Amino acid sequence: MALRSVSRRLGSRILNHRSFVASLHSHATSFGFQEVKEEDKSKLVGNVFTNVASSYDIMNDVMSGGLHRLWKERLVGKLSPFAGMKHLDVAGGTGDVAFRIYDAIYSVKRRALQKVDEASLEETQIYVCDINPNMLNVGKQRAAERGLRDNKSLVWVEGNAEALSFDDNSMDGYTIAFGIRNVTHIEKALAEAYRVLKRGGRFLCLELSHVDIPIFKNLYDLYSFQVIPHIGELIAGDRESYQYLVESIRRFPPQEKFASMIADAGFEKVEYENLVGGVVAIHSGIKL
Amino acid sequence: MYRTAAKRLLGGGGAFTATRLLRFPKLRSTIIPSSYTSGLCTSSVGGNAESPMGGNQSVNPNQSDHTASSSSSTSTGEGPRRDESRKPRAEFQEEQARVLSASLRHVPRLGWTEEAMMAGSRDVGVSPSIVGSFSRKEAALVEFFMDECLQLLMDKIDSGLDLQNLIPSARIAKLIRIRLEMQVPYMSKWPQALSIQAHPLNVATSFKQRAMLVDEIWHAVGDGASDLDWYVKRTILGGVYSTTEIYMLTDDSLEHRDTWAFLDDRVKDAFDLKKSIQEVFCTRHRSWSWEISSRTNEWSYADDVQKKWWYYVLKDHTFRHDSAPFLHNILS
Repeated sequence: MALRSVSRRLGSRILNHRSFVASLHSHATSFGFQEVKEEDKSKLVGNVFTNVASSYDIMNDVMSGGLHRLWKERLVGKLSPFAGMKHLDVAGGTGDVAFRIYDAIYSVKRRALQKVDEASLEETQIYVCDINPNMLNVGKQRAAERGLRDNKSLVWVEGNAEALSFDDNSMDGYTIAFGIRNVTHIEKALAEAYRVLKRGGRFLCLELSHVDIPIFKNLYDLYSFQVIPHIGELIAGDRESYQYLVESIRRFPPQEKFASMIADAGFEKVEYENLVGGVVAIHSGIKL
Repeated sequence: MYRTAAKRLLGGGGAFTATRLLRFPKLRSTIIPSSYTSGLCTSSVGGNAESPMGGNQSVNPNQSDHTASSSSSTSTGEGPRRDESRKPRAEFQEEQARVLSASLRHVPRLGWTEEAMMAGSRDVGVSPSIVGSFSRKEAALVEFFMDECLQLLMDKIDSGLDLQNLIPSARIAKLIRIRLEMQVPYMSKWPQALSIQAHPLNVATSFKQRAMLVDEIWHAVGDGASDLDWYVKRTILGGVYSTTEIYMLTDDSLEHRDTWAFLDDRVKDAFDLKKSIQEVFCTRHRSWSWEISSRTNEWSYADDVQKKWWYYVLKDHTFRHDSAPFLHNILS
């Protein structure tokens, strides 16, 4: 009896080790800490977001203590949107970033301070692309609440970050906030981003990332693995999805590695900025 | 970085070599942004430390290198990767310089603003969103302009400006005039540029640029000082330059004649001040030695002579070198 339990424990430890080693460098086959086939990953991720769509915004607020709003503001500030720009927000289903960009361009204060050509205002196009139609519906609903239902500037498109339906060299800006982690092949998404951007266009990615500060790291891990799945269960009624969320953060490449991946895709002036000690990082690059 | 020091190092091997050395290293050190908001820190990948090497650069070799740069390490830093990452970085600098240079054309109409830079980027054929990536956007434009003017001034000096026949004060006036005339096309928007330069974030760079300009002018005038004098000279010239610049903002006279008259007056004032200071220094030195000698209790015959000499000099209330007659009186 004792021998069997020992062998089971040893066996499981060896199995874990082997699977951990095998999946050390593969984002494409990791679904959190689980191993899945590549073809299945996008379906599983799709399921996650279908489940969480309705409570996505509330959960964001609770998990980050409202900080996610500041992070998105920072992202849009870095982008410096201008009137007449064609912008693509990928995996931005519920429209957080898109609405901020819209406000930044159309704000009355900005138009008063700077000489803005009204004709170029008309040309502004903000495309919101998401693979999950449920998330897009939530976004459209929020647009309607703001009175932007029939606004020509906001366009909601269903699409895959790895195979965008936009033309080459057509976008001035590309943002992806908290979405690139869920993509099966990060390199493909980056290559697509490079393709659709115009010369001089900017790529900005806001993503949960790795914390290195010693004590803070432990606190953050504790919070991630103990508190968040519980909150997920309480508020969204879905523990597994939020377990996937925190695990996928750990599996995502660290800041430097991701920056080198962006540089490999062809972008220049690749930089990253850590917010809250590395909990969130904004990576940026320019296509030249 | 400074011409005087460079020349001394090279042993005066021709002014030509000195300028070659100066142009290709960066004119300014990179500015590493500090965390001015809590919890933020920036790093960059791929290196932003070098300007393009060699003399095969374009007409405009100065790089507006204000972009964030700290470490130049990539996580997988193999040799070939590092070389590749250096070339693209240089390309961004070139692109930025190109956009800023094209934006200068729009400045008289749109001011030193993002709009001017976006118009410039459209001229070059690049998406205006590149402007969002310039650090301290308007300041980048102003600093680029200042660098360009300095480069133009250096070129003019090298290509044989006739300074030998003029006295120093006239040389300085001429050089400042040449430099200020470069700003004439932008005069309507220059107050905005000055306010951008005075902004706390930008003060460090603008101060450095002005210091380089002033050093350049003194070097061309032929100054070789290296002690405390060096700082004093540059400070005073900096003051003259700045006051003339500000006077020029409100000058409506034909071809800025009033400004040049003002400039000549200020330069003359500066030289007069220098003479006055020299006189004060001499006087003080003498009165000190008088003080010291009068306080010694034991003094030799030589001291006695000296003391009497001083007495006569002071009594005369003159501080002249021709106190020799008094000496003869005492000795005889």
